[in-house]
Amino acid sequence: MTVTEPKTAYPVEPVSLATESSRLPRAAGGFRSFIRRSPLSAFWGCIAAAIILMALAAPVLAPYEPLKSDFRAMSKPPNERHIFGTDQIGRDVLSRVIYGSRASLTIALGAVLFGTTLGALWGLASGYFGGRFDIVSQRIIEFLQSFPDLILAMAIAMALGAGFGTVIVAIAITRIPFGGRVIRAVVLSLKELSYVEAARGLGASHLRIMARHILPQCIAPYLILATTHLGVAIIIEAALGFLGVGIPPPMPTWGNMLADSLNAGLVPPWWLVLFPGLAITITVLAFNLLGDGIRDMLDPRLRRAV
Amino acid sequence: MYSYIIRRLAFGAVTVIGVSIIVFAVLRILPGDPLVAIFGPEGFTKLSEAERARYMADLGLSDPLAVQYFRWVGDIARGNFGRSFFRAESVGEMILRRGPLTAEIALLSVILSWLVGIPVAIVSALRPNSLGDNVSRFLSILFLAVPGFWLGMLIVLAALFMFGYRAPLAGPTLLTDPWGNLQVVIGPAIVLGLGQAAYIARMARSSLLEVIREDYVRTARAKGLSRRPVITFHALPNALLPVITLSGILLGFVLAGSIPVERAFGTPGLGYAMFTAVSERDVFVMQNLVFIYAVVFVLLNILVDLTIAWLDPRIRYR
Repeated sequence: MTVTEPKTAYPVEPVSLATESSRLPRAAGGFRSFIRRSPLSAFWGCIAAAIILMALAAPVLAPYEPLKSDFRAMSKPPNERHIFGTDQIGRDVLSRVIYGSRASLTIALGAVLFGTTLGALWGLASGYFGGRFDIVSQRIIEFLQSFPDLILAMAIAMALGAGFGTVIVAIAITRIPFGGRVIRAVVLSLKELSYVEAARGLGASHLRIMARHILPQCIAPYLILATTHLGVAIIIEAALGFLGVGIPPPMPTWGNMLADSLNAGLVPPWWLVLFPGLAITITVLAFNLLGDGIRDMLDPRLRRAV
Repeated sequence: MYSYIIRRLAFGAVTVIGVSIIVFAVLRILPGDPLVAIFGPEGFTKLSEAERARYMADLGLSDPLAVQYFRWVGDIARGNFGRSFFRAESVGEMILRRGPLTAEIALLSVILSWLVGIPVAIVSALRPNSLGDNVSRFLSILFLAVPGFWLGMLIVLAALFMFGYRAPLAGPTLLTDPWGNLQVVIGPAIVLGLGQAAYIARMARSSLLEVIREDYVRTARAKGLSRRPVITFHALPNALLPVITLSGILLGFVLAGSIPVERAFGTPGLGYAMFTAVSERDVFVMQNLVFIYAVVFVLLNILVDLTIAWLDPRIRYR
């Protein structure tokens, strides 16, 4: 009599293989359901992607050099040669807007990667360990949140001196408390769950529990937070540039262009004002709506938390 | 209620101390050398060794950091906010002269945000997913993305080109010239008010939608009360509690936002002074202004929290 292998309820090997091979279609399916669920967000997601592509391909797309002055075409309103016009020293506004996306996106991405991530890790640790560490962390976060975002960023950017890295640091620091608060709240509710209890009972170390059991659950709220912060960071960067504590000129950024337009004479020419601001608005709108869509898809319950 | 007030004030005091330490750390310790911040990197290299030492001693910068910190805090406690490195007026005088204008802008913008945001939210919440709801939701998402200072620049341009109008640049006070004062204040207030209204409309809509589904609202309807009084007297007061909290948080948005917005309109308020201080790299003025802005923000939030506790007994007795 042959002994048939008893069928295990969860054959481990084959399933893990199956997930391995189906990862790609699953991602595609997720994307399709994202489009179906929120077509508006998907549309603005495409715009966000287009803006990122524009930043990457700036040298190909820009019709002129962004820093080169053409003294035969100074302060020209939009025409067929310069469709967004030229500024007071004859630089092409369209090219500068295209190149400006590089600064805005790099800084926003850098600030979020630094600030939101640091805040999230801090919130993870402070929520998980609790106790005195948590109390002190909460106080520090509260102190940081007592400053309006832009004012703290201005002070830091001014203190560190103008430059790419300092602007990233200045904006990143204003993002820390938000990441800390949100992720801490998530962790507080997670660490009481029985599967975490079970892991602890099995003798897993704190680091392992945090990394393997709690961190994965924080990814959804982190992603939602990060996309929202991208929009905020872009606006802060533009405001810093506008106030003259952002990236030093002549590098074209949208904020710098708006600040420059005020120096173009008693009355700023309308094309120097309209186009950079429009670029900021469209970019922020795209990231915000993409963030809304990601939030709805990943976790509708977080609608109010973030 | 009294114990709540005392607890809240004690926390506020601790926060103010923490804030002062952060301000000091950012503006006095971070720059490495404040003289570089004041004179710029090129100007700094032109100074001789002796000049540097003299400036440092004049400014009290050669003392230990702890001494500098306590001297600064002591000065502020005595109401001495120091003076600018570049101009004669003391920071205290500047705040008294320019502060009221910014305060007016902030107050007016908060009032505007409620006047715009709440009615929009009511219309939205009463007919969710109607055309009006979708339009107002789109507008509020749009206004979250529009930088206020850019909107301000556009308004200035539009007023100039369409009506040939430019707001007066000097700052007439409310008492001597109310009409001129309003012309200066109204532009920034509208820009900042619309920005807040977007947040307020979103929050009030979702909070109202939640409250409308509650049992007591259904009971009020069931006992025969018509729709309008149920909304205004039963649903709205409860729905507005989170909106008041949000409005307090948004005051930070107003305080900070008024800096670039005042720059865009050329309004001679405290925000413009902050812009001047930043562009002149005036560390000492900046230090005091940042501290004052943060303290005002903390105080306003205490005020909002106390208002909420006064309106909502559940918070008082927690």
